[in-house]
Amino acid sequence: MTTDSTSSGTPEDINPHLELDITKKRRQIDIVKKFREEKLFAFGIIVVFLSIFLAFFGPSIAPIDPTLATGDVSFPPPPLADWPGLLWQVMTTDMENPPHWFGTDSSGLDIFSRTIAAPRTDMSIALLAALVSLVVGTVLGLLAGYYKNIWTEILMRTSDLMQAFPVFITAMILVALSGRNTANIIFALGLVYTPIFIRLTRAEVLSQKTRGYVEAARAVGNREWVVAFRHVLPNSVVPSLIQTSTTIGFAILLTAGLSFVGAGVRPPTPEWGLMIAQGSNNIVHGEWWESVFPGIAISLTVFGYATVGHGLEEDYR
Amino acid sequence: MAIDEMTAPAGDTGSARPIMKVENLSVVFPRPDASDITAVHDFSLSVTEGEFIGIMGEPGCGKSTAAMAMLGLVRPPGRIATGTVEFLGQDLGKLDEEELRAIRGKDIGMIVQNPRHSLHPMIRVGTQISNVYRAHNDVSKQEAWEHSIEMLRMVGINDPERRVKAYAHELSSGMAQRVLIAIALSSQPKLLIADEPTSGLDVTIQAQFLDEMWDNVQKTRSSVVLVTQDLGIVANYCDRVVIMHQGTIVEVAEVHDFFNSPQHEYSKAILGLQRRAQEKGVAIAKVDEKAPPLLRIEDLTMHFPIRASKSKVHAAEQVSFEIKPGECLGLVGESGSGKTTVGRCLLRLEEPTSGSINFHDVDLASVSREEFRKNRANMQIVFQDPLDSLNPRWTIKQVLEEPLKLHSDMDQEQRLDRIRELLKLVGLEESFVQALPKEISAGRQQRVSIARAIASNPDFIVLDEPTSALTPETTAEIIELLIDLSNKLGIAYLFISHDLTTVKFICHRVVVMYLGQIVEIGTKDQVFETPRHPYAKALLSAHLFPDVANRRVDREVRESLQGEIPSPITENLPKGCYLFGRCPSQVEKCRNMPQELTELEDGRLVRCWRVQEGELTD
Repeated sequence: MTTDSTSSGTPEDINPHLELDITKKRRQIDIVKKFREEKLFAFGIIVVFLSIFLAFFGPSIAPIDPTLATGDVSFPPPPLADWPGLLWQVMTTDMENPPHWFGTDSSGLDIFSRTIAAPRTDMSIALLAALVSLVVGTVLGLLAGYYKNIWTEILMRTSDLMQAFPVFITAMILVALSGRNTANIIFALGLVYTPIFIRLTRAEVLSQKTRGYVEAARAVGNREWVVAFRHVLPNSVVPSLIQTSTTIGFAILLTAGLSFVGAGVRPPTPEWGLMIAQGSNNIVHGEWWESVFPGIAISLTVFGYATVGHGLEEDYR
Repeated sequence: MAIDEMTAPAGDTGSARPIMKVENLSVVFPRPDASDITAVHDFSLSVTEGEFIGIMGEPGCGKSTAAMAMLGLVRPPGRIATGTVEFLGQDLGKLDEEELRAIRGKDIGMIVQNPRHSLHPMIRVGTQISNVYRAHNDVSKQEAWEHSIEMLRMVGINDPERRVKAYAHELSSGMAQRVLIAIALSSQPKLLIADEPTSGLDVTIQAQFLDEMWDNVQKTRSSVVLVTQDLGIVANYCDRVVIMHQGTIVEVAEVHDFFNSPQHEYSKAILGLQRRAQEKGVAIAKVDEKAPPLLRIEDLTMHFPIRASKSKVHAAEQVSFEIKPGECLGLVGESGSGKTTVGRCLLRLEEPTSGSINFHDVDLASVSREEFRKNRANMQIVFQDPLDSLNPRWTIKQVLEEPLKLHSDMDQEQRLDRIRELLKLVGLEESFVQALPKEISAGRQQRVSIARAIASNPDFIVLDEPTSALTPETTAEIIELLIDLSNKLGIAYLFISHDLTTVKFICHRVVVMYLGQIVEIGTKDQVFETPRHPYAKALLSAHLFPDVANRRVDREVRESLQGEIPSPITENLPKGCYLFGRCPSQVEKCRNMPQELTELEDGRLVRCWRVQEGELTD
């Protein structure tokens, strides 16, 4: 052995300027910092947490049973103009017999209770649908990007075809064909959003699979599917994860939309789209509150999810 | 003799007057949090007429920024904080933008990196040269156009009347680089500033290009400031060397002095490989000549089909060689010669079209992929780009653990021990296990790559340009590490590289490839001292060894190949000798006579009938 083994270099050899600082914080999307600095993003995060909170506890904290008809039919919300009276009312609320903050509809159902109970339906449909499309879309996208053969070609053309149809119409037809229940709505929504995830993942996989570490993983002795799932997949999911937030927002809108046209959940389930649809007949009589409050809830929620998606996307780029 | 000429390049025809004088130049990049970065600190340099100066330093040391700042060009938001630049007695700092523009491009020419991106994609190259020329000279369009043709002829472009009408994408990168030099030289500048003008070019093209620049300096007595990372370029062309480190000049020296007795610690580090080799005698162990070969490949052929076409890319044609245990075989050639393809075929990262790969007496080319996968423990590879070859989301521990999980049945505790042992072998500290690849330097990334390759105790490793993405001093360390590992563990290497300096240092034998064929195989000494095949000769002559005793510019004959390597698709391949058209020793018979690889009396193999018949001697 002719070599001086220490010659092969200690880490702090001749390159002191390249000194490593492992303790340096890894650059990740720092949600806490972003939350403090960006108001819109902070708003989105609050909406997301509130919607999830209501999905779990909304029906339990609703002051009046959301499916129980009270005697007060088409009762208007307390007038905002009389705010001292309103304040008084809040302070002296009788828990046994709470007032109708948002009024009641033509069947005597309490709008406020229904509005905060609705996320259980809307959110669970939207979250599950987004999850289904995320999982199915990412796996199919991985296959489509990783393997180039007749089957993946068919897959891509099929997803082209699906994207060519308007999302709403496709979902409506699917629900109409499969039957009007929650599972089918989730299935339909999951299906119409899958092509987005297929595309996003496939594009990322196509660029990732030319990277050296993929070749290296193969050379180390991994089976091909292990290379695909353990190496390529984790490096290709970030765009899809970011897209998920936006998709949840759209899924909420679509859930409500389906109910509005009568292809969604059945009354009297508290659901925003359903409430808007029922209230829309009475707007002409001046009973605006039946539709407006759930409408505001939908807008805020969709907007919140979209903002979070947008914020994460900005950081990722 | 040569030294005297070099030290006083401007001395023989008159006074060596400085044409540019830079004093205390500092460039600062402000940052929002008020912690400004001083990219260039107190840079002083005087450039004499007819002088060829090289600025060297690690990436990010401020060498390019300094060169640009000499012209008053700083990328925003940076600014020149202090310092004066005097050019021909004028203080450039006092001139306004209009007056500066009159000087740039006329009296000072610039050549930048990446020729393709520097040319306008939608304007004919002739028009681009004319525009620059007309901006500084009062001539008609017609005259400028003719001048462009003249310039293209001068920089060695064949058929300039046709090329002058070409667009950038129609030119090869070598030609695009020449067009840039034509633009820079069109007004006969007194000073030429070139920022890594040859990075990404092949050695043969690089030599053609630098010869061109050198000749121009001699002819017109202009000066050149060349920014580079390549010791070879500095040694072979420059009169003086400026070494920069972290924004500061650490050494300015005459080129011979620099190579023979570097003063600063950092200069010594840059000169690492040879210097340390001399001092410590680092060398790879001898190989047992009588041992049966570890690996024998025969007639390995790789053709890539081209979509919607009958022709194919002939990446490798009937490549045969063998490697003994513990041997390091060098595989050299220009890019496009098929050397990487051969390495990848050995590991079945590409499926070879035909041929056999005998490893431990099993033909690996014919076993199933699953069968081959089990064999990967014995055969590993280290890739060119260390960062790219490591999974960006995996810590070093995960990277090193993977081969152990695949090829051994160690439990978690044993694996951790082995990882510590591996890190020690490649000279890394244990604390690196939790780091992500992007958090450590390129040299360390490559050490991790090497550790991964040796994790499963292979007998053989393909090294696919393991040092070409590294700086000179890191290269030296990695080569030493590879030698050390081979000596300790008895691993055989196939060392694929276009950097002949490192090949010369580490390899026992060398294979020279051209257009997918082997043109010469011999021992290191045979190939490096007395190459016989015309291509091997030209390649070695064009390669810039960092050896100031034998500078290319001092040689009487600078052998070089004409033109560039053709793309190896079926219809492009010459009928006879593949080198026909570029070979300096070709005769008419070569045109249609396919060449065979034949053994010469000294044991080497050469693919050239003129050498075999003894027509070509040194």
